[in-house]
Amino acid sequence: MQIHKRKPSEGLAIGPRPDLGLTPTTDSAVDRGNLSRRNLLLTLGAVGVASVGGSIGLIAYRDEAAATEAIMDPSREHQWCRVVDLRRCTGERKCVSSCQIRHGLPPEQTWMRVLSWPDEDGGEHYMPVPCQMCENPPCQAVCPVSATFTNPQGVVLVDQETCIGSRACMAACPYEARYFNWSAAVPTNRMPAESPNTPEFPANRIGTVGKCVLCADRMPYAKELPACVDACPNGVHYIGDLVTDVAVNGQTTVRLSTFLREGNAVRFKEELGTSPRTFYIPGDGQPIGGPSESVS
Amino acid sequence: MSKSSEEPAVVDSALRSLRGASVKFWVAIALLSILVGLGVVAWIVQLQQGMGVAGYSDSSFWAIYIANVVTFIGFSYGGAVVSAILLLTGASWRAPLARMSEGMALVTVLIGAAFVIPHLGRPDRIVGMITLANPASPVFWDFIAIVTYAIATLVFFVLPLVPDTAILLGTHPDDLGRFRRRLYRLVSQGWTGSAGQRGVLHRAIVAMAILIIPLAVSVHSVLAWAFTLVSRPGWHESIWAPYFVIAALYSGVALAILVIAGFRRGYHLEALIHAKHFVRLGYIMATLGALYTYLTFADLLPGAYVGEQGPVEIVHEMILGHAAVWFWLFLVAGTIVPILLVSVPRTRTIPGMVVASVLVVIAMWIKRLIMVVEAAGYDRLTMSFDDYFHFTWVSIAITVAGAAAIPLLLMLLFRVVPLLAVDEIQELSADDGPTAQRPAAPEPAPRGHKAAVVAGSLVLIGLLGIGVGRAQPALAEEAVTDPAEIAVTAASVGPEVDLTATVTSAGQAVADGSVYFYASTPMFAGDGNQILVGKVLTGADGVAEVSYVASEIGSVTVTAKYYADVQGAPVTSQVQVEVTEAVSPYVPAPARPLDGTGEVLVRFLFALVAVVFAIITVQVVRVRRALRTAG
Repeated sequence: MQIHKRKPSEGLAIGPRPDLGLTPTTDSAVDRGNLSRRNLLLTLGAVGVASVGGSIGLIAYRDEAAATEAIMDPSREHQWCRVVDLRRCTGERKCVSSCQIRHGLPPEQTWMRVLSWPDEDGGEHYMPVPCQMCENPPCQAVCPVSATFTNPQGVVLVDQETCIGSRACMAACPYEARYFNWSAAVPTNRMPAESPNTPEFPANRIGTVGKCVLCADRMPYAKELPACVDACPNGVHYIGDLVTDVAVNGQTTVRLSTFLREGNAVRFKEELGTSPRTFYIPGDGQPIGGPSESVS
Repeated sequence: MSKSSEEPAVVDSALRSLRGASVKFWVAIALLSILVGLGVVAWIVQLQQGMGVAGYSDSSFWAIYIANVVTFIGFSYGGAVVSAILLLTGASWRAPLARMSEGMALVTVLIGAAFVIPHLGRPDRIVGMITLANPASPVFWDFIAIVTYAIATLVFFVLPLVPDTAILLGTHPDDLGRFRRRLYRLVSQGWTGSAGQRGVLHRAIVAMAILIIPLAVSVHSVLAWAFTLVSRPGWHESIWAPYFVIAALYSGVALAILVIAGFRRGYHLEALIHAKHFVRLGYIMATLGALYTYLTFADLLPGAYVGEQGPVEIVHEMILGHAAVWFWLFLVAGTIVPILLVSVPRTRTIPGMVVASVLVVIAMWIKRLIMVVEAAGYDRLTMSFDDYFHFTWVSIAITVAGAAAIPLLLMLLFRVVPLLAVDEIQELSADDGPTAQRPAAPEPAPRGHKAAVVAGSLVLIGLLGIGVGRAQPALAEEAVTDPAEIAVTAASVGPEVDLTATVTSAGQAVADGSVYFYASTPMFAGDGNQILVGKVLTGADGVAEVSYVASEIGSVTVTAKYYADVQGAPVTSQVQVEVTEAVSPYVPAPARPLDGTGEVLVRFLFALVAVVFAIITVQVVRVRRALRTAG
């Protein structure tokens, strides 16, 4: 059995498709009262089937799946994503510090930034911004030496052994999620000190670009979760798998699609067409479209 | 224009740079070499300590070096204008200026390209630009365009040397010395000056002149596209490609004036190069300056007018904020004053043009720097300007080295090759009409067009399918307080899993009780993870039902929990169910509107580059063949 992935050529290039309810049109298609009060079942495509030919792919898949049953364990195939639950973020920045420790980053290099804004009552709102793991990563397109790539499981990585340090990716990233190693890496407690410089666990070599790797060396996250997910005391950060539709924050496990739908998940700078694989559950009243001022 | 000079005077003038040099010359060479050497030292320091020592940081990731690349390669286009464009338009007064401006074009493109090296974090891996090339990257096409243009410039520089070196070999072999004699023989072997050879050579030069114009346009366009093909406010501007082309022409003509003035003075070429030459170049420069000023306004207006946060803040920062001093300095000293110097008859002199050109050259460098640094320093998350680039001795030393390398390389170049296009000047002075032997202006050159790869834009929002299940109508009935029991069953039908839980208390069905259904997942740290699939109220018969579509196959542990009272522990029941079919809601991102067109464009561009190289090769081969056969 194999997990269906629609190739772009299989039609439906542009047009409505089964979606997460990230758009107002979907909201109107669903009886929301029903949804929130009753059993939140994932009858596949109740929205999708109704609205789209997208279901064709899924139905076709079922036949296909029956035919190729048990050939392949679908749990082996993953598409990783992140969910950031802003409702819970209190700005402790444990995600930032644990990431810096894990990857041996200098103080000014933060693969995760926590934006913050004051509110009227003197409180603050926070928004952690890691690499958004775009499905159409602009950084990857502009790299002259193909050092940035998306691994088969959807994680955007940099090969520091081929990066020439043109920093074109830093110009292209709309999320300012990339950092340059301006000087030689400071010896740290990075473990082990002389581990190989892999895209999954880069060694921050001078003259190359670094970024959040979603702790890809821990894939498939069966033993350990990414450092930021692990470190957050409030369970803000989730690592999720779009294929098996599961996400965890180290405390609870959720059905990803349900969680996103119920939380009215949004993606950052949707209008840029980057198709980020980081979903934000809005909350705590952060402004839409980005903060106007910030600490961090 | 040069009719007054006699033929021997031309040859004599051309030989001046080749004869024994003065002490002043060698002092200048030594000083310039020291400056270049300092730059190399600074670069080595930068290699050892990282680019941080050059004033770079994550908020000024592109700064002085890329601005230098743009500026210096821009100068090169000035040489192409004076030489190629004026050749094609039949402006024969260019003849005494041609060699110098072609030399300048060659030298500055090399220096500009060399600035890529300090710009890169790992210049030792530059070969990756070829071996690991990503044709979707504008930087890759920068590389292709610069290399192509540099080769064309070299050919355009060498072709007219064929008759010149032959003349000098014939008339003054003793003045040349062994090295130059050998070199000149290599270049001019077989040149007889026959009408057939002249025709072939002339056609080749005209072909290269035509070719070099779109190539220069391509270089400056692709340089602009390295900036504009990202969504960063301030850079993502459609006007930038032509804007860069005009900037290149403007600053290039200015530098050409300086180079010509320098050599005119140094080698006493006053008999050949007159104030009129400078004034004419000044007119061209002023026209381009006015055009550049206009484009500057056109670049800034839309962002300022619409007021979208990113672009408007970039414009504000440029005209009123931190970069304002530099911007207004550029505008006044770099466009208004030079245009005035050209316009006012009193200052329309050689010193006036030189002053105007110095202002333009410096101001255009400043303009490039603020265009780069400002947008790079704009943080797109906080919508504010972070730390700007700051000058350090390292980046200044490397930049000064590049500037010093222009006169240094030109002085050394013209120690080797004649400073003047002897043959062309002689030809012109032999004819009465200055345009007699000039070709009619050829057909317009093909337009330059090395597009980098098209970035598609719109994306549909949805990713996953999700549905809602049937709802169980809830019925209110008395709940019982006795210890409750729960029993759960699960059935897998296709990918659908139906869960049924029956809650009883002392044998009585419990109605209206909340039952929580969980399904286990092998994802993320083993089987311990339980996903809530639904919370359902029991019916009058004490039965709660829920069904979900499995997204994983395998053995699933289903748990049903019933909380008899809010505080207490739940009663639970578990059952295993084998799920043999699953449907993943995962759908990859939809195709974007222009997906696939980039590939077509890349193929087209590669074909175009091949055609360009074919044209260059054909010209060289033709001239070589003419030299061999007509000997």
